[in-house]
Amino acid sequence: MSRTDSAAAAAETASGTEVVLAVRGLGAGYGRKRVVHDVSLALGEREVLLMLGHNGAGKTTLLRAIFGLGKPMGGSVSYHGRDITGRKAAENVTDGLAYVPQGHGVFRTLSVADNLELGGFVEPRSALLAERRERVFELFPILAERRSQTAGTLSGGQQQMLAIGMALMHEPRVILLDEPSIGLAPNLVERVMQAVVTINRTMGVAILMVEQNVQLSLPIAQRALVLKTGAVVYDGPPDPLRDHVELMKLF
Amino acid sequence: MDLFLQLFFNGLTNGSYYALLGVGFGLIFATTKIVHFAYGPIFACAAYAAWWAASLGVPLPLAGVFAVAVAAVLGVASFLVIYRPIQVRGAPGLVALIASLGLFILLENLLGIVFGAGNKVIENVNYDVFFLGPVFFTSIHLWQIASLAILGGALFLFLRYTRFGKAIVAMTDNREMAEIIGIDTTRMAIAVFAIGSALSAVPAVLILLKDGATTHMGFQAVFMAFVTVVVGGIGSIRGAVVGGFALGLVQSLGLWKIPTEWQSSIAFVVLFLILVARPQGLFGASRL
Ligand SMILES: Nc1ncnc2c1ncn2[C@@H]1O[C@H](COP(=O)(O)OP(=O)(O)OP(=O)(O)O)[C@@H](O)[C@H]1O
Ligand SMILES: [Mg+2]
Repeated sequence: MSRTDSAAAAAETASGTEVVLAVRGLGAGYGRKRVVHDVSLALGEREVLLMLGHNGAGKTTLLRAIFGLGKPMGGSVSYHGRDITGRKAAENVTDGLAYVPQGHGVFRTLSVADNLELGGFVEPRSALLAERRERVFELFPILAERRSQTAGTLSGGQQQMLAIGMALMHEPRVILLDEPSIGLAPNLVERVMQAVVTINRTMGVAILMVEQNVQLSLPIAQRALVLKTGAVVYDGPPDPLRDHVELMKLF
Repeated sequence: MDLFLQLFFNGLTNGSYYALLGVGFGLIFATTKIVHFAYGPIFACAAYAAWWAASLGVPLPLAGVFAVAVAAVLGVASFLVIYRPIQVRGAPGLVALIASLGLFILLENLLGIVFGAGNKVIENVNYDVFFLGPVFFTSIHLWQIASLAILGGALFLFLRYTRFGKAIVAMTDNREMAEIIGIDTTRMAIAVFAIGSALSAVPAVLILLKDGATTHMGFQAVFMAFVTVVVGGIGSIRGAVVGGFALGLVQSLGLWKIPTEWQSSIAFVVLFLILVARPQGLFGASRL
């Protein structure tokens, strides 16, 4: 088990690719309560980096801090080598960094089509948006069928697909994906994981994905990271984590 | 029967007035979650602004435009100077509510200090008087109905079909998600305070022409706007329109059988009954 603290070391493990997103010594929390301590990680180009961790480990808090929601308590985030610590979400989105929050991040009272249009809010050129929307419909044909349905009446799986679709409307280079499988039936989880693979392999998007479903998410990750009470306790290849005993030690 | 028709018509005109007030107040609340009680005195400031301009000899339509501008500026200023610093510090909603009541008192007192007590009326306004069978009305009544149809309709189309409007609706639905997809929620809040306050200036000018302006006219306005929005369903334009008409008609038709002094209590009773039957309001927030 390797305990990695520096982003540089992590970058080496990123199968030799260039680092697109580097987090160094990041702290985050709520009010005075610190939940995430001194986390460093690096996401390589075209990589799927899986983040595992128990409930309340601070995974969501970490993703939010990376995306600039909530003030970081020390540390830094850089994207393509530029410092973006605490930057406004709108700037991140324009710059190709997207965040899909935990628990179906959609506008429940609006239609599927309006949700997707809003996903592309920072892009004023409607011709581009139409193209992107077609790509989302190719990936998730059900969304095309349900385009005029109110998002709140979609099933959990469909809402998750819509949430991912909205992020794709920014045409991101990096997606921070928070527990896309939460509350989904196993066959839907597989469907969502397939989509993640497609987004990563065919669209070339780097993905930092938080998951609790170890079985279905480990096989699609190039690297995995385990967070325990707000600190990184494992950062390395996913394979050792397939061993149940090894995982139990980490949680 | 003649009395009934007249009361029905009065209910419609008052209902349009309440509905338009409710639309502006509701838009601000739904989007920013701020209970903007200072909406009332800003409405009053708009009426005084129009009166002041008209008393200097400015033609009435221009005085109206001036009133709209004053209301929009005051609305935006109250957001930027009072509410936003409170929200940025992450204070609970109650703090903004109390600040809003403070602003209410401040603005109302300022109006009294600057303009003095007493009813301000615009002299020599000429308006047409009509009789439709037994029903009597003036062009101001017609303007009250028309202003709701035009402005309420325009706002509906704006929110439903434009990119900017949809962003406002998105923020109403889920503010954090709106931020995540790159909507500048502060800019949207500024826009909403400007639009909502500007909307209130129109009924303010019409009331000035109809009854004149007093420093405490804002209380009734924001109270009725509040009831209208709660009755109709927060975040719904249709809801505010239906709520406004329901309130106007019940209040007015109530006079048919109930003594006049009960008129303002009727609004309370309607509010209470509807909230017991439908806590989410007549429409709920799920429809524009
Ligand atoms: N808004 C908040 N205010 C205060 N504390 C919070 C808030 N959100 C989360 N926390 C606390 O921060 C800690 C980490 O929460 P976080 O949501 O980041 O965990 P997580 O790893 O994403 O968990 P899960 O797997 O359940 O989603 C928890 O102890 C939680 O109670
Ligand atoms: Mg979480």
